[in-house]
Amino acid sequence: MNTASRLMIALGLLFATTGGLGRASKAEAQDVQITGPLAGAPAVRHMRIYRDGRFQLQPTLGFTINDEFARSMMAGLQAGYHFTDWLGIQAFFNYATFSLDTDLTDQIGKRGQSTENNRLSLPTAKGFKDQIGRINYLAGLQATFIPLRGKLAMFQALFVDTDFYLFGGVAFAGVTERADVTGAAADQCTQRGLYGTPTGRTFCENTQGKEASRMAIAPTFGVGLSMYFTDYMALTLEYRAFPFKYNTSGTDEGGRAKNRSLDDSGTFPDGRITEADRTFQFNQMFSLGLAFYLPVKSDLTE
Amino acid sequence: MTKSRIVAWLALAVCSQLSGLAFAQDMSFDLEETESAGAAAEKKPDGEEPAAVDGSVEGSAEGNLIGDLAADTSGGAQKTDDGGPKPTEVSEEIYAVQQVYALRKNRVELLPSFGFSLNDPYVSHATAGVGLNYWITNVLAIGANMNWYQGLDAESDLNFHVRRSTRLAIRPTEYQFGASLNFTYVPFYGKFAMFNRYIFQWDAYLVGGVGVMHTRPLAVVDPEFRKFDFTYKVSIGNPGVGFRVFLSKWLTVFAELRAYPYLEKLENLRVALGPDRKNSKLWLDDSSTLVTNVVASVGMTVYFPFGFDYKLPK
Repeated sequence: MNTASRLMIALGLLFATTGGLGRASKAEAQDVQITGPLAGAPAVRHMRIYRDGRFQLQPTLGFTINDEFARSMMAGLQAGYHFTDWLGIQAFFNYATFSLDTDLTDQIGKRGQSTENNRLSLPTAKGFKDQIGRINYLAGLQATFIPLRGKLAMFQALFVDTDFYLFGGVAFAGVTERADVTGAAADQCTQRGLYGTPTGRTFCENTQGKEASRMAIAPTFGVGLSMYFTDYMALTLEYRAFPFKYNTSGTDEGGRAKNRSLDDSGTFPDGRITEADRTFQFNQMFSLGLAFYLPVKSDLTE
Repeated sequence: MTKSRIVAWLALAVCSQLSGLAFAQDMSFDLEETESAGAAAEKKPDGEEPAAVDGSVEGSAEGNLIGDLAADTSGGAQKTDDGGPKPTEVSEEIYAVQQVYALRKNRVELLPSFGFSLNDPYVSHATAGVGLNYWITNVLAIGANMNWYQGLDAESDLNFHVRRSTRLAIRPTEYQFGASLNFTYVPFYGKFAMFNRYIFQWDAYLVGGVGVMHTRPLAVVDPEFRKFDFTYKVSIGNPGVGFRVFLSKWLTVFAELRAYPYLEKLENLRVALGPDRKNSKLWLDDSSTLVTNVVASVGMTVYFPFGFDYKLPK
């Protein structure tokens, strides 16, 4: 074999070897594919980590729902920190910027009837709106759990990163209720002889507008949806429940026997406006928020 | 010289062909091969090849394809790069576009549910419901549903308190049942990832139709004399929205919000004196009131048949 032939053979072998190496390289890649190209991979690649290690500041606008007599419009602020992408803590404060009476309140104001049997509950129909309970503020601490991440397609055109979250914690609700009416003041309303006098009538009617404020402690929980329009900003829709007892109507509800017989809590009416007249309310609110995350740059998963 | 050249060219040709064979093998996405590979991989120790099992076609056909493929394999892919015995002749099927998770066309859907009314503060109307849909396409269905209310409703405390404390009569309505013929349309569908590990398929749907409500007013103004029978009222539109999450290809859970508007004649606030008090024609209002029964419900969906065939290959 001369040099040229040897060179040809060498080239052939080199090409073959190179091909083999190339093939080996392919095989390496294929090895990865053999175990599944998605094996060991996360369910989502290049997912933006919006919450992990970031602070959240979120102004909100909300309103209470399913209220019996008055609903509150709430302006609020939430601040929190997320330890992971699925867990965080937050503090929140919502202030009732104004209150809207329900249709039922209006109807009672127009058509309610005050008789000797319900005079303490309703001294005057017109003044009913002054005696109803209202929520003034809602503050609290909560833990937020974010189990679901995904995308939302709107009309096949607008795609936004989305997460769904649950939260729970403790809430402090500031409420205004009708002030207690006991003793002589209650007697002016409940005893015909006293109410029949101008002084007694005025005394009774004056109890209608007197308010007392307190803070109620309640559990709070709810769900929410965040839609991330940028790295650092999300629109949030949130439902919150915060059940506690308060006297929404300002009426005398003590003595709950519906057939008006004696029961454990006494007769109806018991002739006083006290904390015994508070009824359990499953208070709820819906809010819209704009969440800002700091630092403004989010991370990506592999 | 010539002979040597021939040998060299032959060597070159053979090597080239070997390379070609290897490429063809690399690109083989044969189904049987993959399935056998999955079976073979099952025999291997844990951590060596688990993904081949999870990623097998057979496994994905039974459950969540992407979730299965994405299952944590403790770095199995890394280990193969580190040397050691390499599996051979096995390939995974990868598709540029995954198939729709669950086809619905020509399937029947059974929907048992439980719900409650949202917008009646005076009477709580709980309901047990059932629905049946036939899917004409993957996104459009026709069907019917029925909600049973009687025996599950309860007067709220608010009603009692208002009546007692303000002497105002609130005229409630009792529902016995409601039934509706429906169209269901699915405009949105997608996936949610849980902890970047599990993937849930979901869709959102719109529903509407026409039906009846079988209701009657409850006598509160003059209950001593007045008694009302259930009568049918037509409910039109019955718009609703729902959200459905697939647990498997034939089982889902859903939440739905739906309104059933209808016209009801409520009890007459005026009580006639004398013999007319017993005249049932005077017991109801002259005009009708629009009542909208808004029901929030949760339930399950079972699809029949349980299995289905994809029309087109992957």
